[in-house]
Amino acid sequence: MNVSIVPALKALIPAALVVAVVLLGLVVGFWANAAFYPGTSPEQPIAFSHKIHAGENEIPCMYCHTQARRSISAGVPSVSKCMGCHNEVATQRPQIRKLKNYWENKEPIPWIKVHDLPDFVHFTHKRHIAAGIECQTCHGPVETMDQIRLTDAAPMEMGLCLNCHKQKEVANGLDCWTCHK
Amino acid sequence: MSILDRIADGWRKYRKPGYYDEFDYHWGMTVDLDRCTGCEACVTACQSENNLPIVGEKAFAEGREVKWIRIERYWEGEFPDVKLRFIPMLCQHCDSAPCETVCPVSATYHNQDGLNTQVYNRCIGTRSCAVYCPYEVRYFNFYDHHWDSPLDQQLNPDVTVREKGVMEKCTFCIQRIRQAKDVAKDDGRRRVRDGEVQPACVQTCPTQALVFGDRKDPESQVSKLMNNPRTYRVLDELNTDSSVVYLKKVEDDHA
Repeated sequence: MNVSIVPALKALIPAALVVAVVLLGLVVGFWANAAFYPGTSPEQPIAFSHKIHAGENEIPCMYCHTQARRSISAGVPSVSKCMGCHNEVATQRPQIRKLKNYWENKEPIPWIKVHDLPDFVHFTHKRHIAAGIECQTCHGPVETMDQIRLTDAAPMEMGLCLNCHKQKEVANGLDCWTCHK
Repeated sequence: MSILDRIADGWRKYRKPGYYDEFDYHWGMTVDLDRCTGCEACVTACQSENNLPIVGEKAFAEGREVKWIRIERYWEGEFPDVKLRFIPMLCQHCDSAPCETVCPVSATYHNQDGLNTQVYNRCIGTRSCAVYCPYEVRYFNFYDHHWDSPLDQQLNPDVTVREKGVMEKCTFCIQRIRQAKDVAKDDGRRRVRDGEVQPACVQTCPTQALVFGDRKDPESQVSKLMNNPRTYRVLDELNTDSSVVYLKKVEDDHA
């Protein structure tokens, strides 16, 4: 008797090929998704550069994000805040003209939120700034970015919160209901 | 000691009632049934504060409504000699809670403030906690609820809108407790003052039947009321050691 398993397996070759292609597709797709994940660095309505403002001109973060030390949310500056300087500064550049359009039409600029926390997370800027946490701890080196993006160093994930709370021995900092709601 | 024993040991230690040697705060509530008129203002207040869905007629008929606090009605005696009794029923925040021991993912646990917590994003919806809760105060989201415009504008931003498949229950308005602690820190105080934080139901109660406060503070209103001889706990024989204490209705049967 000469029984072999090979003929039985041969029938499965097309299926195996399909599986291999699917797996390869998954891996490549996952990589592509991670590389071009929408939301990590979206195209903003005005190409605002934090590098020019916070980096080269050394404007403090809280000159524009005035609510950060006073409330839960840091707040995006109003158009009038921008126009406070750009009435005089660099008025002829194309991006500033865009800004001026919004100003003259009395419309808010539809910025796209990059550092966005899920709905079930409670985070208050006020408490963290009062505790002396640098903005860059969570937001990354914003002053070097032309286009705002999430960085690997500060991925805005739960581990970042927990590590810091553990390190600084925050009172009840590891309780779920400190941050989750 | 093998690694399995160590894991089991840690598990048992965590599941032991009275896990904390000392609570930080020990939030509690008293419900004076002599004052309760059954007006359901607390139910409405809770509904709007905590983004509770209005489930609609069909879901209500199926018993799938969500009410973190409800007024239970009990009729006593035969007509015309009847008495109507009300008991506001909410999560009792038991210090040895049956629901906490059964959650397979520890989405519900006891925290250092004496609160029975529910972490929505960790909950996988096994519903075991609702089965084990003797007070029937845990509610499951059978549907994805939506609020028609402009009603979505009234949603409380400090509270999550829960999605389908998670369990939810009274939180003693954790968002308000958090806010009060925040204010206390800004003032440079270590503790929240008595009466500084009130859940929505307590704030709304027109007869002040509900009182909320820190049981660890002997001077707080809630601690004083808990020394009242009228106090009792619902289903005390189950030894749940609940944080909500009821004050018995005073009756003169011979009037």
